[in-house]
Formats: sequence, C-alpha cells, structure tokens
Amino acid sequence: MLQRRQLLQGAAFAAVGGLGAAGCAGAGPSGPHAVRYWGMGAADTDKDEAARDAFLQTAAGRDAQVSIDQVPSSGSADMSQIITAVRGGTAPDVWWMDRFNAVQNASIGLLEPVDPLIEEFEGVSREEFTQQWLQFSLDELTYDGQLYGLPTSTDARGLLYNENVLKDAGVDLDLFDPGQHVITWDELREVARTVVHQDSRGNYDRLGFAPWADQGMPYTWAFGLGAEVYDNDATRVVLDSPQWQSVYNLYADWAEEFSYSKVDAFFATYQPPNAPPTQNAVFSEKLAITTGGPWQISGNKKYAPKLPLKWTWLPVAKDGDPTYTWSGGFSLVLPKGSNLSRTTWEFMKHFTGFAGQSIVVPKLGSLPTNLEAITAQKYDPDAELFRQMLPNSTSRPPLPVGSAVSDAMDRAKTSVALGTKSPREVAEETQAMVVPKMDLFPGYRIPESYGKPQKIPDSR
Amino acid sequence: MSVTDTVGPTAGPPRTINAGGQSAPPPPPRRSRGLNVGQRRKLRTGLLFISPWIIGVLIFIIYPVVYSIALSFTRYSGMEAPTWVGIQNYVTAFTDPMVGKAASNTIFYAIIAVPLGLLIALALAIAMNQNVREVAWYRTIFYAPSLIPAFAMSFIFIVFLNPQFGVFNQVLNLFGGANVNLLGDPTGVKIAIILMAQLGAGNAALIFLAGLRNIPKTIYEAARVDGASPLRQFFAITFPLLSPVLLFNLITGISGSLQVFTEAFIVTNGTGDPDAGALFYMMYLYKNAFGFAELGYASALAVILFLVGLALALLVYWLSRRFVNYDVEAG
Repeated sequence: MLQRRQLLQGAAFAAVGGLGAAGCAGAGPSGPHAVRYWGMGAADTDKDEAARDAFLQTAAGRDAQVSIDQVPSSGSADMSQIITAVRGGTAPDVWWMDRFNAVQNASIGLLEPVDPLIEEFEGVSREEFTQQWLQFSLDELTYDGQLYGLPTSTDARGLLYNENVLKDAGVDLDLFDPGQHVITWDELREVARTVVHQDSRGNYDRLGFAPWADQGMPYTWAFGLGAEVYDNDATRVVLDSPQWQSVYNLYADWAEEFSYSKVDAFFATYQPPNAPPTQNAVFSEKLAITTGGPWQISGNKKYAPKLPLKWTWLPVAKDGDPTYTWSGGFSLVLPKGSNLSRTTWEFMKHFTGFAGQSIVVPKLGSLPTNLEAITAQKYDPDAELFRQMLPNSTSRPPLPVGSAVSDAMDRAKTSVALGTKSPREVAEETQAMVVPKMDLFPGYRIPESYGKPQKIPDSR
Repeated sequence: MSVTDTVGPTAGPPRTINAGGQSAPPPPPRRSRGLNVGQRRKLRTGLLFISPWIIGVLIFIIYPVVYSIALSFTRYSGMEAPTWVGIQNYVTAFTDPMVGKAASNTIFYAIIAVPLGLLIALALAIAMNQNVREVAWYRTIFYAPSLIPAFAMSFIFIVFLNPQFGVFNQVLNLFGGANVNLLGDPTGVKIAIILMAQLGAGNAALIFLAGLRNIPKTIYEAARVDGASPLRQFFAITFPLLSPVLLFNLITGISGSLQVFTEAFIVTNGTGDPDAGALFYMMYLYKNAFGFAELGYASALAVILFLVGLALALLVYWLSRRFVNYDVEAG
C-alpha cells in the first residue's frame, strides 16, 4: 500500500513537473536566429506559414527559426493579450497588427520604433527605405515622428451589388457600371425604394440598401462629405463640425424612410451576427446592395460562385463629384521586448516587402501596400476596381485615441438611426467623449503627408 | 460581606451574592494574559493550515484591491510607469456622459433583475421543497439551467430571439405581429438580458431551499391546528423565518447585478449597442481598461463601483433590522 510519504513525494514531483512543463510551453525557439511571431489568426495560418517558408529559403533566413503563434483576441481593439505578454516578458518578436491601432499602441509604449533598425541594418535614410510602400499606410504607422512598423496589406471600400436582385426589381444596371457612372445618393435611394419588399406581416423580405450596414460606418461616408476628425493646425478634434452632422443626418434621413428596427430585424433574420459565412443576405438574394471591400471577393467566389456579384464606387452627393473611399489594412510591428535582432528585422522586411506581399496578399484577397507588388498585380484581378481607388484613398486619421473615436462614432450611428438622438446631439456627444481623451496628447500632430493623394503606378 | 458561589456545574460564570442573598452584577472578566505555549503551538499549526488561503487572499484580493485604489489616482496604460494625476480620473468619471449612461443601464437592470430573481428563486425553492416522491427529479430539473455557462446561455438566447427562427417571434407571429429584433432595441436588449439572468436563479433557490428546510415543522403544525391557510402560513411563518436567507440573497443579488457583464458582452458583440442600451457599468470599465488602454481611469471606475456596492450593502443591512428575523432554530 502507498505510504503517505511516498504519496507526498509523488505529488511534489508531479507539481514541479507540471510547473516546469507549463513554464516551457509556448517558450518557442531561442538564440540569435530565433523569431517568435504572433500571426494573423488561426484561420490564416496557411498564409503565415507560406510567408515564413519563403523567408527560410532566402539567404537571410537560412539559419532562422521562426515559430508562429496564433493568439486569439476578443476584438482588434482589445490589447489585453499583447500587453500581458509584454509585461510578462513573453512578448513575440514580431506581431501582425491592425494598422489602425498602431498610433494608439505606440502612444502607450507598447511598440518599438523601427527607425533605429533601418539605420542599423539598412544604412539608408528612413525616407529612402520606405519609398517602396503606399504613403498612407506609412502615415498610419507614424507617431511622434517615428515609424512603428512596416505595412503589409491594404484595401478600399465600394458598393457590392447583386445584378439578379436589381434586374428582378427592374433597376437600370448602367447606374452601377463603374466604367460609366458613379451613383448618387438620390439614385441609390430610388433604387432602394424600387427593390424593397415586405411580406404580409410588414417584415422586409427584400432590401435594397442600408447605409449603416456592413462597412457603412460613419468614417466611410465622412470621406465623401468632407468631415474631418482632427484639425492639425488647431491641434484639436473636430467631431462636432457641420460636416459630421451631415454624416449622421444621412443615417437619420434614410431611417425615416426605411425604419431602423425593421431593417435591423431583416439583418438579424438573414445575416445574424456571428453567422457562418454562407448565411449572408447578399448570397441569399435578399439584399441588393451593401458596402464592402476586396477581402470579400474570395468568399463571394467560394460561397456564391454562380451569383452575378459586382462592385462599384461609393455613392456621391451629386453627379460629377469626385469618388472617395478609405483604406485599412495590417502591418508587422515590434512589441516592447522584441529581440530586435537582424534575423527579426530580415523576417519583417521580407514579409512586408515585395516577396512576402506577393505571397500573402492574393491569399488574403486584399491589396498590396508595396508599390512594386501593385505594379506586378500581385492581387486578385477581380479587385482591380479597388486598386483604381487607391490614388484617392487614405487611411482613417492616425490618432492615439483611435479606438475611442471609432467606438463613439459607431454608437452615434445607431442613436441617430434609431431616432433617439438628433445628428447635432450625437456629434456634440462624440466630441465631448473624445476631447478629454485627446487632451492627454497636447500639441499632437498627424503626419503632414496624411490625406494627400499619391500617384500610384498602374498594374502591368 | 459577600461570598462567591458557583451555581451548578454548567450555570455559566460565577455570580456574586451579597449578604442579603441578592445577585450582584458579575465583575468584568479578567483579561487574558496571553497564550500559553500549547495554545501558541495550536495557533501556529492552525495558521499554517490556512496559510494557502491567507496567501491567496493577500495576493489575489488584498493586493489587487490596494493596487487598484492606487492606480485610480494615476494615468496608466499598462505599459509605462503610472503618472500621478490626483483626483482627475474621478472628476472625469463624474462628467463622462457614458458613465451616466452605463450607470443608468445598470440601475435599470438591478431594479428589475434583483427582485424578479428573488421571486423566481423563492418560487423554485418552494417547488423543490414539496413533499412528493419525485422531488429529487424536480430539484435537478429546476437547478439544471443554472449549470449552463453564461456565454452558452447568451448564444441560446440569440437563437431564441431570432426574428425569423426564434421561438419568441414564432409566438408573436401566431398573434399576427411583425417580427421584432428585441436585441436591436435599446430597452429590449436590457429586458432580454434580465430574462436571461433568471435562468441562473437555481443558485439562489438552493439557498432558499436550505432556509426552508431549517424552519421547524412544528410551527406549521401549530398553525394548521389554529386553522391558518397555506397563504397565511407563508406570510406569517415562511416569509419572516426565511428573512435572513432573503437578506443574503438580496445582497449577493445586488452585488451580482452591479457587475453584469458576460451576457451583455456576448449578445452585443462587446459594443453595448444599440444606442448603448446594453452598455453596463462593467462593460464600460472593461472598454476603458482594455480597449482604450486607460487602466487608471478604469481603476477609478472600479473604486466607485466598489464604494457604491458597499454603500448599498450597508443600506440593506440597516434596513434589514426592520424585516429580518433571526429567531428560528433548526427543528
């Protein structure tokens, strides 16, 4: 029979062994050529691995050991995992991060600037080294004059429409032909009136368009209505400007005709949150038009290969107005605690350069930020319209309070659409919410190059 | 002249009897001069045995509480050293419109969810306490929903309220009503979360059940002999004698309602929308801490919540003197 002493000894060994195993778990390779990389996410491991394998084939990557971890997050703005890792001394060397969060994360000291690495390993100026990427993607990574990462992919916003639904409703498809016409808001409203259909109980069972759905966020329409978030000269946020009120008015006006609650019930029915990708109102031919981007193209082909789904420009106020859009995307950054080694830098440079983007971007269904990759058309040819949007595109303004701005705007959107507040009230409320947070960064300036059009070479 | 006489072997402390044979007030007990060697050894052993608990409380409760209070006076992102800002975070909290919104949502939730939860838990406990052969089955069935984790329950509710497939709308349709998305309405989403919380009433019901079983049966027998109806028995016997348990469930219910988070986070995808209708206090605190990297401000919000919770608990204790009856003995 087991003696008490033996039992205690056994338990002690098991505890020590367990602690040791836990301590070793996730430690990954170590040494001067080791790179610990937090990737895009479990669903995109194949892209990370393809980029990693290509790097290992290069002279710079021959001796490298790159371990990939996919760390889940409860949202792109939730930084608890990375902050915990950095504070716990287990930060990755390289991290795939939404560029929108770069300035906020840099402002709290979560990221290492790459300027010293450019100087140490490239021997050229930052301006010279970064010429290979789209300017707006670099602006989005710039805080306090320093660059905090290298850009990977980008995108743009446009209208996705289903020709079948529009034809069935008797809509003139030429309105949507991007080569012939840029649809106006009035025309879009008329199309929505034509398409919408209700069942015997008054539920929408076919819908034309909802400006607040999918990518119809305030930022999207703000770029078309000239609403700016930050006044660089006055160094203050201007979220209560008349232009912002006109953005919110757009939602309020639309919801007067197409009740928010009924539209909401429509989306909850045909495209509920967290539904599988196949449960989509466009795929089920219930929704004619929605706001989206090139990342949806591969899904459209996969889940609705027979549907005539096409893209066009975002709606403008009146005929002849310039087209507009905005671009998001991702980047590779160096969290605090990164080893900042040459191998880490070479991995990051390869991944974000022409070679890496040529592999990853077409698989992601997005657009490259690397100019050479754009010229070489290293993206899905069906995303060509979005490539044409890039010269007039820019990112959302890089602010150290980006999450708070985005959060406040999204809430304002639903408030006006529900009719609980007026456009003026939500604009003032948004301003009131963001100003105290921005006051913590007195004299903050967005890079001077932000928002300026960039000449982008045509694809071959 | 007076003598000291011990009355009986178990009659308590010695009484002083004066010459007239009347009892005099006993002298104040002598102060202990400290523990002897044996007692000290026992104390050490006892402390050693509970030391894991003491260490756990110190590390995981006392230290975080004290650290949070300290952080609430700083600006802290979680990365760089905290910067002292005095009471600025508290000033901001009292002027931030979203704190007001989150607090009013939480109060709305607490005012409905806590009394409703107590009523449902009490009803369940009474049902679980019936003297029938299958009572064990009933207890299992009534308690089973409480075993479902909050996140799983949230997903069940999302399906339950789906405008097309959900049972809720199917019933509405039977009466000719149009489909509604309760989760898309600022008040509807709060009500949905309140209803969802009631599926966890089994935990409070178990405590009520223990209280019910603690009430001596003889009291009911006497009441029946006196011709008291079941309703009269409930209000004259059950309810007063259950009041200590009610007080416990009330305080834990208030505390839990101030911290409502998981259901709202899942149902609204972490946004608290529509129109901040489900933005509860803890969700706003979480957003500030981990979305906006303002741990100092989030700590101030946490301290305010702690003080409000403490004040409410003290208020309930104070009020409880009027309705709580501790006279019952196990029968």
